Amino acid sequence: MSFRFIVLWLAVLVPLAWGVMRTLQNALKLFS
Amino acid sequence: MSSTFLDRESTIAPPGYNRFLVPPAALAVHLSIGQAYAFSTFNLPLTKLVGITQSAPSDWKLTDVGWTFSIAIAILGLSAAAFGRWVERVGPRKSMFTSALCFGGGFMVSAIGVHFHSLWLLYLGYGVLGGCGLGIGYISPVSTLIKWFPDRPGMATGMAIMGFGGGALIAAPLSILLMEHFKTRTSNGVLESFVTMGVIYFMFMMIGVLTVRVPAADWKPVGWSESKKPKLLVTNADVAVDMAWRTPQFWLLWGVLCMNVTAGIGVLGQASPMIQEIFSGRVTPSAAAGFVGLLSLFNMGGRFVWATASDYLGRRNTYMVFFLLGIALYSLVPWFGHLGSVPLFVAAFAVILSMYGGGFATIPAYLRDMFGTMNVGAIHGRLLTAWSVAGVLGPVLVNYIRQFQIDHGVPKAQAYSITMYIMCALLLVGFLCNFAMHPVSEKYHYRAPEPAK
Repeated sequence: MSFRFIVLWLAVLVPLAWGVMRTLQNALKLFS
Repeated sequence: MSSTFLDRESTIAPPGYNRFLVPPAALAVHLSIGQAYAFSTFNLPLTKLVGITQSAPSDWKLTDVGWTFSIAIAILGLSAAAFGRWVERVGPRKSMFTSALCFGGGFMVSAIGVHFHSLWLLYLGYGVLGGCGLGIGYISPVSTLIKWFPDRPGMATGMAIMGFGGGALIAAPLSILLMEHFKTRTSNGVLESFVTMGVIYFMFMMIGVLTVRVPAADWKPVGWSESKKPKLLVTNADVAVDMAWRTPQFWLLWGVLCMNVTAGIGVLGQASPMIQEIFSGRVTPSAAAGFVGLLSLFNMGGRFVWATASDYLGRRNTYMVFFLLGIALYSLVPWFGHLGSVPLFVAAFAVILSMYGGGFATIPAYLRDMFGTMNVGAIHGRLLTAWSVAGVLGPVLVNYIRQFQIDHGVPKAQAYSITMYIMCALLLVGFLCNFAMHPVSEKYHYRAPEPAK
C-alpha cells in the first residue's frame, strides 16, 4: 500500500470519524 | 490541441494506477457539499445578526432565512440537470474545481450578505452560487467511479454519495465550534464562520481536484471481463443523454427516486418536533437532537450498505425492498407511537432513513444498468430534478397535513398518523414505477456515426 493511498484515505476518513463520534455522543442522550 | 491541468486529457491514469485512490477524491467533494444538510445550524444565529442575543425588529425572520436551504436544493437539481452534459465533456477535474469555486465562493458572498445585512445576497451566495456548487459537485465523480468500478458500480457510487450524507455529521459540530470561537459582544460569529468554512471547504475539495483520475478508454479491472450472459435489466449498450429522457424508463426511474426521496425528506426535516410531540413529556429537546443525529447516521450508512448490496441483489430488487419494507414500516409507526415504544419508533425510522439514503446512492448504478456508461453522469444530473420536486413535496406534505389536523382538533401526538399513511401511498406509487421497469428499446441505443467513405 502506497503512502499516497494511506494519506488520502486518512484525509477523508478522519474528519468523517470525528463527525460520527460527535453525532453518536448526542444520539446516546436518546436512550439515557 | 494544448492540454491544461484541469482538462480531461491530463487526468487519464497511467497503467497500473490503483483505482482505490479515486473514491477518496470523490469523498473529498461529497463530504464538503454534504454540509448543505447542516445549514440549519445557522438558521437561528442568522435571525440574531442585529440583536446578537435575541432577534431585533430589523433582524431577518426564520421563515425568510429558511428559504436559503430550499433555494440551494432547488438549484442543486436544476444545475445538475443543466450542467450534466458539460460535466461529462470536460471531465471530473475541471467540474470538481468549478464546484469548489462555486461552493466556497457561495460562502464568501453569503458572508458579504451578512456584513451588509442583505438577505438577497445570502440567497444569491449560498442559495444560487452554492447551489450550483452542490449540483455540479454531486454529479462530478459519479460517471468516473462507474468507469473505474464496472464490476461494483453500486459500491463505488455508494461510497461517494455516502459522503454527501456524512458531510452534515462534520458540518453541524464544526459550524457550532466556529460560531462559538468567533463570538464576541458585537457579533455572533456567523460572518467569520462563513468565511472560514468557505476557505476550509474550498481547500478540502481541492484534494479531490488534485487527485481524481479517469481510466484510459480501454482500461478494465485485472481479471474482469464484461458478462457475456445477458441480464434482463443490465445493458451492454449505451443511450445518449438527449435520447435517454425520451424513454419511459427515465421517467419511471424519476418516479422511483421522487417517491423514495419524498417519503424520507419530510420526516428528516420534522424529526425533532415529531418525536417530541408523539412521545410528549418523555423525549426532551436534547434527546430529540440525538434522534436527528441517529437518523443522519443511518442516512449515511444506508448509502454505502444498500448501494453495495444492490451489486448482489440487483437494482430493481433493491428498490423493491425499499418500497415494500418502507410501506410496512410507515404503516407500523403510528402503532409504535400508540404503544409508547421509543426504541421501536426509533428503529423503524432508522431503517426508513437508511433506505432514503440507499435510494440516492443506488440510482446512479441503476441508470448505468439501464442506459450504459457513456452519458450516465449527464443522465443522473437530469434525474436529480426529481430531488428538487421531492424537496418541496415531502416537507409540504408532512408540515401542512400535520397543521391541518391540529387545526381540526386532532391531538398533536396523533397528528402524524395520516401523514404516515400518505407516505405509504407514495411508496406504493414508487413500487409500481419500479415494477413496470423493463429494458430500454434498441431504437434508443447509441450508434457511432459511420466513417465517411
